[in-house]
Amino acid sequence: MRWFTFFCILLGISLFQSTLMNWINIGSAAPDLYFPLVIFYSFLADIKRNTITNWFVGMSKDLFSEGSFGINSVFFVAVGFFVWSIRGMLFRGHLVTQVLVTFIFSCIYNILYAVHATLSFHSLSLSATIWTIFTCSLYTAMIVPVLFWMFGKLQPTQQSFSQ
Amino acid sequence: MRTSTPSFSDIIKNPIATIIILLAISLSFLFLPLKLSSRIKMTCVVPVRPLQWATCFCSNSANNFLDKVFSGWRDAHVKKELEEQVFQFKNKILEQQDTIYKLQSKLYTLSKFQAENKSKTRPIPADIIGYDSLTFRKSITVNAGSKQGVKSNDIVVSNNALVGKVVSVSGGSSVVQLITDPASRIPGRVLQTREQVIIEGNATGFCQLKYVPRWAKLKKGDDIISSDIGGFYPPSLPVATVVEAEIKSGALFQSVKVLPKVNISKIEQVLIIIN
Repeated sequence: MRWFTFFCILLGISLFQSTLMNWINIGSAAPDLYFPLVIFYSFLADIKRNTITNWFVGMSKDLFSEGSFGINSVFFVAVGFFVWSIRGMLFRGHLVTQVLVTFIFSCIYNILYAVHATLSFHSLSLSATIWTIFTCSLYTAMIVPVLFWMFGKLQPTQQSFSQ
Repeated sequence: MRTSTPSFSDIIKNPIATIIILLAISLSFLFLPLKLSSRIKMTCVVPVRPLQWATCFCSNSANNFLDKVFSGWRDAHVKKELEEQVFQFKNKILEQQDTIYKLQSKLYTLSKFQAENKSKTRPIPADIIGYDSLTFRKSITVNAGSKQGVKSNDIVVSNNALVGKVVSVSGGSSVVQLITDPASRIPGRVLQTREQVIIEGNATGFCQLKYVPRWAKLKKGDDIISSDIGGFYPPSLPVATVVEAEIKSGALFQSVKVLPKVNISKIEQVLIIIN
């Protein structure tokens, strides 16, 4: 695994997520480009690298967003650890698995964040929040094939999937 | 038998220890005072701000370019020959047009604001250079900071309508909490009925009104303006328009959905009002 490549990918995602999202938003549905990266490294890397990369991804998301500093790194490390621990039971090289795992864990992550936001501000409406979580998670899962292909091209250790 | 104390490098090699250390760092950040964590964030992101500005600038230029291309294609069926000439001409002066358009827009907004608000406040024009990366938070980053005199809690407007308030400031950029952010609470008033309300964000494109009495007669299209109660926001600043008012049985107050006057995805510049 190349750390320089990882940080370049992370910078690219951060810039895209914080400036160009208006180009790919569909209504209120906006994909989370950080999340496929978390799933990718949870599938690909060993536990230590997985933890460190997910921590950096979470910190990067925290830096480019308003709100509690550090909350996303905690969520991403937890999600990454959980995905890493169950990846032996999954056929992780298959596209359907990658899409499904991203969708399910994106839903869980968004629900956790919505609960955190609701506890902090008491101002999220339930129906709108559920709809936002569903559409955003679905959109995030839909772009997984493209992003995984790009990450796989940039990171030359993709053969680890078949191990 | 002697046992040696494990060194730092030994601890780092242990994956569980790595997880614990990283989580401890994250949790310690979480419990930092808000001002300190904002300062750390703003400082860490400073080197990336020029890249953000450049990306945003390219995006806006490309957007304008595509708009012009598509409008050219639409009219091509009607005046094909003439449109070809105009299109060539437009391509040549596209960059100049974009610059002139932006400067004119800034000047117009500035003049309009100064004409309508003869107070001690001073408006500063700023370009939007970034958006929030979280689904459930709504903020923007603008390219004006403490060097231009921006302070926390300064009010941000666009086309004389409220956009939000400044929450974090660094040398050359500031983060603006939008009125649609779930943490935003703005004292307001219904223009037509004079009812007092609180405008609250809920992380969608809409806001909701809190504490609207059941007997208040609100209808679609009613305007919501800011109120100077609390002395934080200037009075009479247009904020939103009523989209839907519903009286649920058993509820103490009405449930009112409002649409902000400013569509944040359609604007490129804002004005920061400095006291």
